[in-house]
Amino acid sequence: MSFGASIAMKKAQWAHGRIWGKFLAAGALGILLGIFVTLIEIQRGNGFSAIEAGPWTGWPRSEASEIDPYTRAILAYSGEIALSESEAIGFVAYGDSDGAPFDCACDYLVKGGIPPARFWTLTLLSPGGDLIANKADRQGFTSSELLRANNGQFAIALSRHARPGNWLPLPLTSKFILVLRFYDSELSAPAAALDAAHMPAIIKGRCG
Amino acid sequence: MNQINRFLAALLWILGVLVVAGITHIIAIFAMPKLAAQDIYARISDLAKPGQTALLPAARPGTQFMPFADPALAQAVCPFDLSQGSLRLHADVEADKLLTLSFRNSAGQVFYSMSGLAAQQGKIDVVLLTPAQLEIVEADDDEDNPSQDLRLIAPDSKGFVIVSALAALPGEKADATERVKAVSCAVEQVAED
Repeated sequence: MSFGASIAMKKAQWAHGRIWGKFLAAGALGILLGIFVTLIEIQRGNGFSAIEAGPWTGWPRSEASEIDPYTRAILAYSGEIALSESEAIGFVAYGDSDGAPFDCACDYLVKGGIPPARFWTLTLLSPGGDLIANKADRQGFTSSELLRANNGQFAIALSRHARPGNWLPLPLTSKFILVLRFYDSELSAPAAALDAAHMPAIIKGRCG
Repeated sequence: MNQINRFLAALLWILGVLVVAGITHIIAIFAMPKLAAQDIYARISDLAKPGQTALLPAARPGTQFMPFADPALAQAVCPFDLSQGSLRLHADVEADKLLTLSFRNSAGQVFYSMSGLAAQQGKIDVVLLTPAQLEIVEADDDEDNPSQDLRLIAPDSKGFVIVSALAALPGEKADATERVKAVSCAVEQVAED
């Protein structure tokens, strides 16, 4: 009888320790998971309110006075001083119009419609937001400096190799993104009904 | 029975992990701006004292002051500390050139911004005040000759203004730099009587 009771007590103690162990493990794993998800979310860099138009995603980094906590954390993490919505409205592209991610070995053509704005700029950056040095010393175009056809249409060629016309050199090896910014635009907010037809298309050309 | 108990215990455990993960995630998201805020204001204070303007280093490969900057912009910063007096900012705007201003708290969050299109007769005059300073200034107002200044109340006493000008053509870089440099910031003593 007493033997049985002693075994039951041992068992209870053991179970007690195991339960605390489980609590600690759940807590530790939970904290790690929470931090991991936060870092992933912030590095991916899409806030809540991202809108999409063709290959372009509304830049969550434009500072509005009422931005969501995610965007605020993303901005703080990157150290960026983002322009506010009344200064510039930005869009970012991670891939071409067919949805394939950018590959610096391929040629791309950026062309098509563009929403009305006093000025706009197209900039090529690393995914982390760094400008990439190249021999032509060109990281982007402004709307004023583009060479245009007689009807006002434009095309920007992205390639590692020199191209006639508006040539934006691609990095030789690293990944890249495109950022399109509209200054003094009539798009009051990214909520403005944007569809792919009004934004430039990014068409993949030859690779290799 | 025993198996169901085990299954329920495991489910509860996973639920516990997820709850802790969720709480950690929310805390981390909200803490991030506070952790990073001192950093950005400190970096800006290294460039200029309150009431002075300083050019941000040109956005070139390898010398960027911040990520995702537009290399076509020339930018300057003017930190303010309203405990030393109000801040007066004056800018001249050229009709066909882009100049924008954003007023931020010390964490870099915008509380007011404008583009040169809002200029009156090619000039922008902004006075940044605390609520107490605004009362004093308004008490001194001449009703027949109202002030043309745009008066803004700052949510915090410390912060900074970012001035941006666009070089629409590559040859306009120097001109854009001159235009942001020409924006003046000054600490103004508010007479307390």
